[in-house]
Amino acid sequence: MRCMIRKHKNLLNYSFDCLRRYRMRTAVILITFLVATTMISAVLFTKDGLEREAELSVQSAPDLTLQYLKGGRVEPINASYISLISEIPGVEKVLKRTWGYAGIGKYTFVVVGLDPDGLDYSRGVITSLEDGRFLTPEDEGTGNIVIGKLLAYMLNVKVGDDIILLSESVETNKFHVVGLFSDASSIYTADMILMSLGDANKFFSMPEGQVTDLCVYVSPSEDPATVASRMNSIPNLRVLDQDLLLRGYKAAYGARGGIFTTLWTILLVAIALIAFSQAIVVGHESQFEVGLLKTFGFSTLDIIEVRLAESLVIGFFATSLGMLLGFSYAAFLNAPGLVDILLGWAYLPREFRLPVYVSLQSVFSIYAVTVIPLLITTVVPAWLNAITDPELAMRRAAA
Amino acid sequence: MIEVRNLTKIFNRGKFNETAAVLDVSLKVKDRSIVALTGPSGCGKTTLLSMIGLILTPTSGEILYDGENVLLASDFWRTMFRRQSFGFIFQHINLLPQYTTLENILLPLYSSDVDPWEYEGKAREWLSRLGIADRAEHLVEQLSGGEQQRAAFVRALIKEPKYIFADEPTVFVDEETSRIIYNVFSSLRDSGKTVLLSTHDPELMKIADETYRFCKGRLV
Ligand SMILES: Nc1ncnc2c1ncn2[C@@H]1O[C@H](COP(=O)(O)OP(=O)(O)O)[C@@H](O)[C@H]1O
Ligand SMILES: [Mg+2]
Repeated sequence: MRCMIRKHKNLLNYSFDCLRRYRMRTAVILITFLVATTMISAVLFTKDGLEREAELSVQSAPDLTLQYLKGGRVEPINASYISLISEIPGVEKVLKRTWGYAGIGKYTFVVVGLDPDGLDYSRGVITSLEDGRFLTPEDEGTGNIVIGKLLAYMLNVKVGDDIILLSESVETNKFHVVGLFSDASSIYTADMILMSLGDANKFFSMPEGQVTDLCVYVSPSEDPATVASRMNSIPNLRVLDQDLLLRGYKAAYGARGGIFTTLWTILLVAIALIAFSQAIVVGHESQFEVGLLKTFGFSTLDIIEVRLAESLVIGFFATSLGMLLGFSYAAFLNAPGLVDILLGWAYLPREFRLPVYVSLQSVFSIYAVTVIPLLITTVVPAWLNAITDPELAMRRAAA
Repeated sequence: MIEVRNLTKIFNRGKFNETAAVLDVSLKVKDRSIVALTGPSGCGKTTLLSMIGLILTPTSGEILYDGENVLLASDFWRTMFRRQSFGFIFQHINLLPQYTTLENILLPLYSSDVDPWEYEGKAREWLSRLGIADRAEHLVEQLSGGEQQRAAFVRALIKEPKYIFADEPTVFVDEETSRIIYNVFSSLRDSGKTVLLSTHDPELMKIADETYRFCKGRLV
């Protein structure tokens, strides 16, 4: 049997002709798909980026985080636990940490106090600085801080400047900026204020000898889960591993992520509506055409091939372009209007990069929700018309 | 040879608007002949032509092409048969308005394994023979009824089909063009084609080898 390459080329040419000739129809599909996929891909790619950032930062988080539970609630943990924990086989190092939130104007930032003595910059999220220096043991109790770039931008401060923070006990505290986290650090350092443990304890009015939690580093030869199981017998202790932390991160975005569900719904409804109205319009418009083509000897398969090609071309073109626009909006313009919802910041200055990540899964799901409904709603009516007696199809359409 | 036996078409069977468009019609169309169907409007000419042209499924009866009952064949087989052997000239012309005359004429070739534009020369030849060579690049919606009728003519003949079905092909054209069309039909027959047409035109009936008269779906 001949492979009929020329015939398929003819059918494809005919498909392109249809797209050109039914301009209104083509434009409607194109614009709807463009708007819908631009919106959804900006959100999805940003969400993917944030999740990836979370994964990266969890990787560099302590192997285990220990919290003190009292009546099921998290309370400050006594530093005296350190000696107990250090004796557990497999534990390499235990660090004290005190952290919380601080408000400046309408923004909320994360304040983290670490013992500069035990700071391990090589393993932390905080791997590089744009300007200034890291904290050293000499910074203990001095009010010296290293801050995120976003914070620096919002407050318009640089290394060497002072900032005032309002503490728990409503006292003003003056801090001195000695370093600035770089862009290369994760987005989670963007709104971070790193200070010495003593300063943080004072800032959050922690009871004497207590901190927020303890960071445990496990020796490389040991499995953190095994080490964690050795702590089971210690009362009132909650042991968080990296998986749990990651789930926590993702849940935080999940809460804001209600917007995703809403957007997906909007997208699906928009596409379903357009596809449906197209199905009716196209079904009617092409009824005559399909009948005529059938008379000429186009088979039912030929007709499906024409419509399929038409939908694939326009569907893939519009969706791909939409994704490109959505990506640019997020990656180059920092998604104005969107970061507010996703990150809780009013906007992200141009100097800062939103972590945008294009995952294959997102790309495929976007294609799936746009191209598949389009295919179904164009191919099914075409098929129905094609299996009707051509004379009836033409007469009906003419009436 | 086409042989039609007891062909019947009843629309909307069993409903209030049931219409018996064609009733128990039997006739023969010899190869290399022109056969005309005539009769008052609504007597079932278009319905009969469509059934014989295999674009409308009869309610009952048989249609034999060279002795073979084509109604027993699959839809795909009948489509292939139409592709290879049929040319249609419709009562309502049925050109696609968004396309030019030339594009409309070449459209039937798109389902074949050939380059449609190789037939451009032939199409233009036919167009000038019918006196509308200068309309080749016009959108058909800009053509007069007679010009559209002639374009539809060329479209039906472009593949040189063995059977040509023409439903009232001279209603929209002037006398001079009518004469050209009579000549075309005659020369088609001379070159071995078979023409089945419906008409009210006495001149056209004159060139037919046989004329069947209908009334209310029945042969009279
Ligand atoms: N698709 C259809 N549904 C219902 N009735 C139809 C249909 N097609 C034709 N008819 C009816 O069948 C009869 C014959 O129509 P037609 O074959 O077009 O007649 P003619 O071509 O001789 O004018 C008419 O009464 C017409 O109303
Ligand atoms: Mg008629």
